[in-house]
Amino acid sequence: MNEHIVKSYEDELNTLTAECARMGGLTEAQVGDSIEAVVKRDQALAEAIVGRDERLDVLEADIERKAIRLIALRQPMANDLRKTVAAMKIAMNLERCGDLAKNIAKRTLVLTEAEPMSPLTRSIERMGKLVLGRLKDVLDAYTGSDLDRALAVWSRDDEVDEHYNSLFRELLTYMMGDPRTITACAHMLFVAKNLERIGDHATNIAEIIHYEITGAETIGSARPKTDDLLRDA
Amino acid sequence: MSQTPPRRWLRLSGPALIAGGLGVLALLVVSAGRGDQSDAAAWMALIVAILVLAVAWRAGQLAQDATQAPQVPARPPHENAPPYVSIINALPDPVLVIAAHEPDDLTGRRFVVVNQAARDLLRIQHDAGLLVTAIRDPQVLEAVDEALFGGLDSQAVYEPGGAQARVLKAFAKPLGQAPDGSRLALLVLRDETDIRRAEQTRADFLANASHELRTPLASLSGFIETLRGHARTDEGAREKFLTIMQTQAERMARLIDDLLSLSRIELNEHIAPQGETDLTLAVMDVVDALGPLARERGVTLAPCLPPRGEVVVAGDRDQIVQVVQNLVDNALKYSPKGGAVTIVLQSALTADAAAAPLRPQAARLSLLTPDHGHDLYAALRVSDSGVGLKREHLPRLTERFYRVEGQKSGERSGTGLGLAIVKHIMNRHRGGLAVESVEGEGTTFSAYFPLSAAALAMPEPPIEDVVTKPS
Repeated sequence: MNEHIVKSYEDELNTLTAECARMGGLTEAQVGDSIEAVVKRDQALAEAIVGRDERLDVLEADIERKAIRLIALRQPMANDLRKTVAAMKIAMNLERCGDLAKNIAKRTLVLTEAEPMSPLTRSIERMGKLVLGRLKDVLDAYTGSDLDRALAVWSRDDEVDEHYNSLFRELLTYMMGDPRTITACAHMLFVAKNLERIGDHATNIAEIIHYEITGAETIGSARPKTDDLLRDA
Repeated sequence: MSQTPPRRWLRLSGPALIAGGLGVLALLVVSAGRGDQSDAAAWMALIVAILVLAVAWRAGQLAQDATQAPQVPARPPHENAPPYVSIINALPDPVLVIAAHEPDDLTGRRFVVVNQAARDLLRIQHDAGLLVTAIRDPQVLEAVDEALFGGLDSQAVYEPGGAQARVLKAFAKPLGQAPDGSRLALLVLRDETDIRRAEQTRADFLANASHELRTPLASLSGFIETLRGHARTDEGAREKFLTIMQTQAERMARLIDDLLSLSRIELNEHIAPQGETDLTLAVMDVVDALGPLARERGVTLAPCLPPRGEVVVAGDRDQIVQVVQNLVDNALKYSPKGGAVTIVLQSALTADAAAAPLRPQAARLSLLTPDHGHDLYAALRVSDSGVGLKREHLPRLTERFYRVEGQKSGERSGTGLGLAIVKHIMNRHRGGLAVESVEGEGTTFSAYFPLSAAALAMPEPPIEDVVTKPS
């Protein structure tokens, strides 16, 4: 006789996950578009990205409201509670990614006015693709509840950092070589930093997925393998 | 069949009990009318009557359930399915049917039919499920919504991402209403990676060729001008100039070869190679071929290989040879006279083990990480004994025409495309590539290939020739 009530509870939980996935899709598109805008110096696309950011804010607020409502009305326990909290936290991280993408788009508007710097944009593109790939992987891990995939994203965080450091040096060389490029290079530096931050958010999401699936709060400071061994012991 | 009697009993018992309950109730009313009984007895009778009615109702329900049970289809999803299901399943393009009730109900949008191609592309495990868990792309979701609720044909570009970037066109078409009142839409994805890649490759080729060929061409025409001018009679200068011109022309030829080969690899990068290759044999061939060059440079080649037939990977032999050749050739270039190039082949490693650091103090970076899907890999590690690379150069190594400043690769300068070619071939083979370097000690490149399905199924392949001494 309680089937109906349980079903709608189940539906509410599923809606949260679904909305998070949809928000993830939007964020991916925003980040991907912002990279394309920088690389192709596309002013119209950059403006569109700035305009679309509001949708992410609305979605995040919506997910938060639904999660709080679910906690208040259903008092979820264990797995369900973790699912709810994870949805809320992931939405928060995605919203931050969206903000960073918007910031990249805004900087693109300034960059399009300066002279093109093709070798630099290639480096940005490569780093952007790497970051976008991580975001995609971690969201795939979320929708598929795939712990291994999430851990793979988590353990590969240093790749983005290496790219960032390499780009940082490249930019310094440019600025020292020709002071006229300093304005554009400074903006590029922030674009790179924003991408690096998006990568960090992907890592955060991987940690949240780890929490959602296992219930263990942090993955730990060691590599996942050693940590797994410690936990098993 | 054996269950029919109890069901019939249940079905009959319902009305019988209801009749009984009504009888007791009637008795009760009659006796209450007489007024010669105590209140307590009347209440007891009332409760009994209600209980009997309740049992009667439940029995009726059970009977109804029992009669309905055989009508619920208990067959597995694909058995007895109409023939069109197998037709849809066999289509090469990913096809999904999406059902939804209301526009603002997110969990309402579900895929109810998926064919095999869609399962493979979108990594779908179940027969039905939430659409957003399979496709998140906002443009595709909008196209689906338009077909579902706007009744319009709609299109979107879908890029699923991953190591082998693919571009698909999504077509959404309304299918009208299902018997249960939900709306249906068809989503077909068509792979347009080939077309996009061809465009991209042509653009890249033109850009690279025009940029990189200009330098040697300019020097060639400069020398020709000089030779026709005042160097016309100078025997010594003519010989010197012609040598330089020949070197430049050879460099241009190599550049064009490499550019063409890169274009070819890029065009097919999203198509996994067919066939199997024995990695040991491939490495041995390369070692034999590069032996003279190594002797010329005073560098020893030190291969450490498992016996033939033991490391079989899925892949295109020519391309794998190209990977080995480029890596060993590079290592030769950057090893000093008297140094050694070691080539190590390891089998049956996990992706993590294949990309794991070999030396703790080394700067290392994964240049290409495969998407998950394969369990075991064979890793080829090529180490030089050169000066090593600084950490900040590592991310840019596979960039086209990238040169590490201050490192001269000798007279036989490369085209700057070698590692880019290696990376693209490894990506086509769904493999990975990692580099690690210690300054002053040398650099190691690890290329790892997924083991072939046959090699995985057969843990100990028959070794016909026991004595296989590497090189």
